[in-house]
Amino acid sequence: MTDVRPPAPRAGSRDVPGGRGVGARLPRKEDNRFLRGKGQYVANIRVPGMMEVAFVRSPVAHARVRGIVKPAGMEGRVFTMADLAGVRPIVSDSGLPGFRSSAQYPLARNKVRHVGEAVAMCVARTRAEAEDLAEQVELDLEPLPVVADMLQALEPGAARVHDHWDCNVFLDTLVDDDLAAVRANAVITVKRTLRTARQCMAPLEGRAVLACPDARLDQLTVYTASQLPHVIRTGLSECLGIDQGRLRVIAPDVGGGFGYKAILLPEELCVAWLAMRLDAPVRWIEDRFEHLSTNANCREHAYEITGYADAAGHLLAIDCDAVVDSGAYSMYPFTACLEAAQIGSILPGPYKMQRYRCHTRSAATNKSPIVPYRGVARPGVCLAIELVMDGIAREAGLEPHEVRLRKLVRPDEMPYVNITDKHFDSGDYPECLRRAVDALDIPKWRTRQAAGEPDGRRVGVGLAIYCEQAAHGTSVYAAWGIPMVPGHEQCLARFAPDGTLELRVGAHSHGQGLETTLAQVANEVLGIDPARVRVVLGDTAMTPYSTGTWGSRSMVMSGGAAASACEVIAGRVRAIASHLLEAAPADIELEDDVVRIVGTDREMPLAEIARVWYREPQRLPPDVDPAGLETTMGYKPAADTGTFSYACHACAVAVDTELGSVEILDYVVVEDGGTLVNPLIVDGQICGGAAQGIGTALYEEMPFSDEAQPLASTLADYSLPGATEIPAIRIAHMETPSPLSTFGQKGIGEGGAVAPPAAILNAVNDALAPLGALVAECPVTPDRVLDALRRAGESRA
Amino acid sequence: MKAPAFAYEKPDSLDAALRLLADAGEDAKPIAGGQSLGPLLNFRLTRPSLLVDVRGLVEMSAVGDSHDHLTLGAGTTHAAIEDGRVPDPANGMLRHVAHGIAYRAIRNRGTLGGSLAHADPAADWLSVMTVLDAEVLTATAAGPGVHAAAHFAQGPLATVLEPGELVVAIRIPKLSTRARWSYFKVNRKPGEFAHAIAAVVHDPERDVCRAVVGATGDAPYLIEDARPLLRGFDPRWAADHVSAAGLDAGSHAHRVHVAALRRAGAQIGGVQ
Amino acid sequence: MAGKTTLTIGIEVNGEQVTHAVEPRTSLADFLRDTLGLTGTNLGCEHGVCGACTVEIDGAPARSCITLAVACDGASVRTTEGLADDPVAEELRAAFKAHHALQCGYCTSGMLVTARDIVMRLPEADEARVRVELAGNLCRCTGYMGVVNAIVAVLAARSPHPRQDP
Ligand SMILES: Cc1cc2nc3c(=O)[nH]c(=O)nc-3n(C[C@H](O)[C@H](O)[C@H](O)COP(=O)(O)OP(=O)(O)OC[C@H]3O[C@@H](n4cnc5c(N)ncnc54)[C@H](O)[C@@H]3O)c2cc1C
Ligand code: FES
Ligand code: FES
Repeated sequence: MTDVRPPAPRAGSRDVPGGRGVGARLPRKEDNRFLRGKGQYVANIRVPGMMEVAFVRSPVAHARVRGIVKPAGMEGRVFTMADLAGVRPIVSDSGLPGFRSSAQYPLARNKVRHVGEAVAMCVARTRAEAEDLAEQVELDLEPLPVVADMLQALEPGAARVHDHWDCNVFLDTLVDDDLAAVRANAVITVKRTLRTARQCMAPLEGRAVLACPDARLDQLTVYTASQLPHVIRTGLSECLGIDQGRLRVIAPDVGGGFGYKAILLPEELCVAWLAMRLDAPVRWIEDRFEHLSTNANCREHAYEITGYADAAGHLLAIDCDAVVDSGAYSMYPFTACLEAAQIGSILPGPYKMQRYRCHTRSAATNKSPIVPYRGVARPGVCLAIELVMDGIAREAGLEPHEVRLRKLVRPDEMPYVNITDKHFDSGDYPECLRRAVDALDIPKWRTRQAAGEPDGRRVGVGLAIYCEQAAHGTSVYAAWGIPMVPGHEQCLARFAPDGTLELRVGAHSHGQGLETTLAQVANEVLGIDPARVRVVLGDTAMTPYSTGTWGSRSMVMSGGAAASACEVIAGRVRAIASHLLEAAPADIELEDDVVRIVGTDREMPLAEIARVWYREPQRLPPDVDPAGLETTMGYKPAADTGTFSYACHACAVAVDTELGSVEILDYVVVEDGGTLVNPLIVDGQICGGAAQGIGTALYEEMPFSDEAQPLASTLADYSLPGATEIPAIRIAHMETPSPLSTFGQKGIGEGGAVAPPAAILNAVNDALAPLGALVAECPVTPDRVLDALRRAGESRA
Repeated sequence: MKAPAFAYEKPDSLDAALRLLADAGEDAKPIAGGQSLGPLLNFRLTRPSLLVDVRGLVEMSAVGDSHDHLTLGAGTTHAAIEDGRVPDPANGMLRHVAHGIAYRAIRNRGTLGGSLAHADPAADWLSVMTVLDAEVLTATAAGPGVHAAAHFAQGPLATVLEPGELVVAIRIPKLSTRARWSYFKVNRKPGEFAHAIAAVVHDPERDVCRAVVGATGDAPYLIEDARPLLRGFDPRWAADHVSAAGLDAGSHAHRVHVAALRRAGAQIGGVQ
Repeated sequence: MAGKTTLTIGIEVNGEQVTHAVEPRTSLADFLRDTLGLTGTNLGCEHGVCGACTVEIDGAPARSCITLAVACDGASVRTTEGLADDPVAEELRAAFKAHHALQCGYCTSGMLVTARDIVMRLPEADEARVRVELAGNLCRCTGYMGVVNAIVAVLAARSPHPRQDP
């Protein structure tokens, strides 16, 4: 059913004054409701008779559940896994060879495997009363030895997280190569041992689920703060054992996602089950304590990485051993090993090299299951390789950008297939780096460094460049064999009789502004005012199936689908207009809400076409397409290897060696996201991503005790950066269109978060280099700076 | 994160409040701004049977001015001090400190008395009132009481207050016009509780030179004679005091507190 | 238990006097959201740090999550819904939109209340001061760029002496 081919890449209406299409800096349509307090987050939905759930959660990281005692007289309001008999556990396997499978029960059965794992569910009229009830539930837990650390998990005698496994490894992957010759010949060898802390993604809205039975439709409506409502529906139906048709999943307004809400929750299963059991609306709203104490679930990596280079600083090879703390279970749908497998495939970054070896392990520990956070493995990977590149520069006596320029893929080499078979689509990586170096003005900082600071602090500069595969599709995910493989992304487009247009897509928006950018796409194709376009998202009953919003894919995939659907509609509009205006369809143009015969002033309102189709069919041409002004079209880029956006982050910092504190003095981002559909929104994504990256670099850490107890239980301890911690980031764009996507757009949602840890650690280490100190852990807290200085002092003494 | 159930009374006089607390026994608590108690309640880390709301009691809002002291009611909010809506007996020190406490929305409700009574070691007023040699004026159903600020806190979240005893006001010696002060708070973000505090007050006319080392995890540590700081920074002297304040020599916290003391000394014009 | 376990309170909310029975443990935020249905005020942490729940009590910003509803008996409370016709809030909303000061929108109600306080209380504030004053309002989406720019723009537009760039 491809009656119209997707349009060739085009520049969009960026340069058109007053343009409202692709490229326009259009303020967002969705802002109006949020600015008036009308956002409809799950917790804001009121249903008569709604009950509230509080969970009884495990206070320990590893234990056998010997008994659960419900408070006397309250048996009908407290539920355990025994009550949920028949509900299947969440199993999320990877097809990669050697993967060890885990089963996560919605409420713990036999064993608890991390602090905060739900053990029982209590329901009451209010949340406060549900919490009162939860306090009275008695748990009889037999403590088991705890696997608190991923490296400890790999030791031979370590306790087992899953009794039936022979070790604590979900998956072991190896990209092998023979490095003997490189090792023998390399003049420069840089070895780094790195770690990144476990983090909380901390969207301001936590997770939230409200399930409402509907007797008329024989259907359960599940409102959930999710990035992928269709996938949740599939997962719920499989675990609950009910037809998908009896489930409607609605993700209404979502208060930030970042990956945190791209997972099927045990709590979703529980609440859905309970609503059916009680035949009443039931909700659970995650609070901040639950988020911090139960769901610090991302980013924890450890690397042993070695870079080999020749005397002139040419990178020859990388050798790496990486471990990811995957936590206790494999989460649905991305599995426990996506992150580590990704490390193996993307560590080389934008660089060329002769040899590459990478061994990864996804370690199971008694912590919450790892979930991919904005950028997934990239922030860790970028940190690893970029610290090595700086090490090579130091050894070779070169500026950091000089060693990078030697090995970045050049524009004349594009499209380029790299050493791990990634297909870079387009771009000028060296130019991006040069612009960042110029924008930061590195010579200025070198002069300042030499002069010294009046307050005694030490200044340093740091760079990081990365490229990011986004919107990659079927072949990539099929190769990983995870429960969810994206195929064609679909969009339903239809005119209403008044000439307003509705676009329905299955992806979702949790701040990314799809309601605006997809309307811009419609404007680009149909000339319709974006104000007259309604974008419907987040509802399985209203939208075509989609794997949802993740992997920086929505603008490429849903944008492509919306363009394809609008093209089909445009063809049908032209056909009707040609009849009404008495001209050839090819001579009809669609612009500024009118249909016009090209080069004339013979035109009619676009809305008139819709009116005629619906209300004056007697005026339609006899051979009119009976499908009318409504269609669903699927879209997949020409190749599903993904678009590669890229960016260079450059920053200057001042380090106070007495207090260990770090201040960012300047921060520059030069990025290339291909054609920018809405530069205002793109800048917001970059800045917001960079702020999260700065959090990773300097502030955010969930420390764990030896017993795997999360130690930061408030937002005063788990430190999120505020307006004073994020500098005024300076952003510059390059716009190399992707040859793969409809308008040349690339995925940009995650990139901002990728480079800050690497850029900032490089800058801190540049500042500390004269003292012989090196920081190799994230976040760079004052204690870590002081540790590094102490080690340097000791090694000198 | 919903508070456990408790009963609530809002008496209209100090006497009535004291009676309610005396009658209800140990599980009753006063509440002022609720800015420390509120979070504790929501985390269910405290379970009072009864809260007696003392916010807005006239007896706790009074400002008293004498020749050499200023008395601020316990109910004075951080924001009122920040804005200069009450006099500052310490040549601007109180306004400066108030501005650095939490965030405006919290300062609008959080009170001086509540902060002292809560006795978080990392809180600001405890250290400031210690270095200023202020007195905490209290009352029980049996009558009034006075405690030197320097001895008011007895450890983390522990004070000399008896059950049923309320902080009514703080009596602060006035600094003379030539007096100088410094306040160095180490934190990573504005509005955060301190990781280290050092403050110095030098009032030659009153022959006072005091310093405090705060946010040690314990009650603030007073250096009654801080003159050595004026003569030049002696790292040994400072390190000994920071050790005496309870921090392990060799720890990062020790190093940071010594640095804070050095900088507070430098700010006040000590020779470096 | 000594003392009252439900109280009837009278509060002026967004210009209207309301009288309701509440449990003492009910926070002002839950009272506004659950009892009055004013869900424009969101909860992000329930312990005073994030600022999402910031409302005006007697004209000054306060955290509704750690303020008891019973403690507001006799007070006047204004939420984002009550700012609908406020001219300063209207300027801020326009600036927030123009400068892309919101993404998911979850922090926005609290941001607007704080922003309004900055504009009214600190007409001379520069960018650095605006950032300090915003320190108690976390946003996980925007990186604050749009929020800071929007507030600075409103301050500049209201200033009788437009600031000269140095
Ligand atoms: C996010 C956040 C950040 C903060 N940052 C800082 C900071 O940087 N520096 C800082 O110093 N503080 C900080 N605080 C604490 C804040 O200053 C509180 O306002 C203050 O500690 C408590 O004052 P309150 O009036 O709210 O007391 P409440 O919370 O009402 O009470 C606190 C305690 O004192 C008791 N109490 C209250 N009044 C009296 C009285 N008159 N007599 C006897 N006992 C009484 C109560 O029973 C309770 O135990 C912060 C708070 C928050 C939520
Ligand atoms: S919800 Fe009140 S400050 Fe976070
Ligand atoms: S816009 Fe999402 S938290 Fe601020």
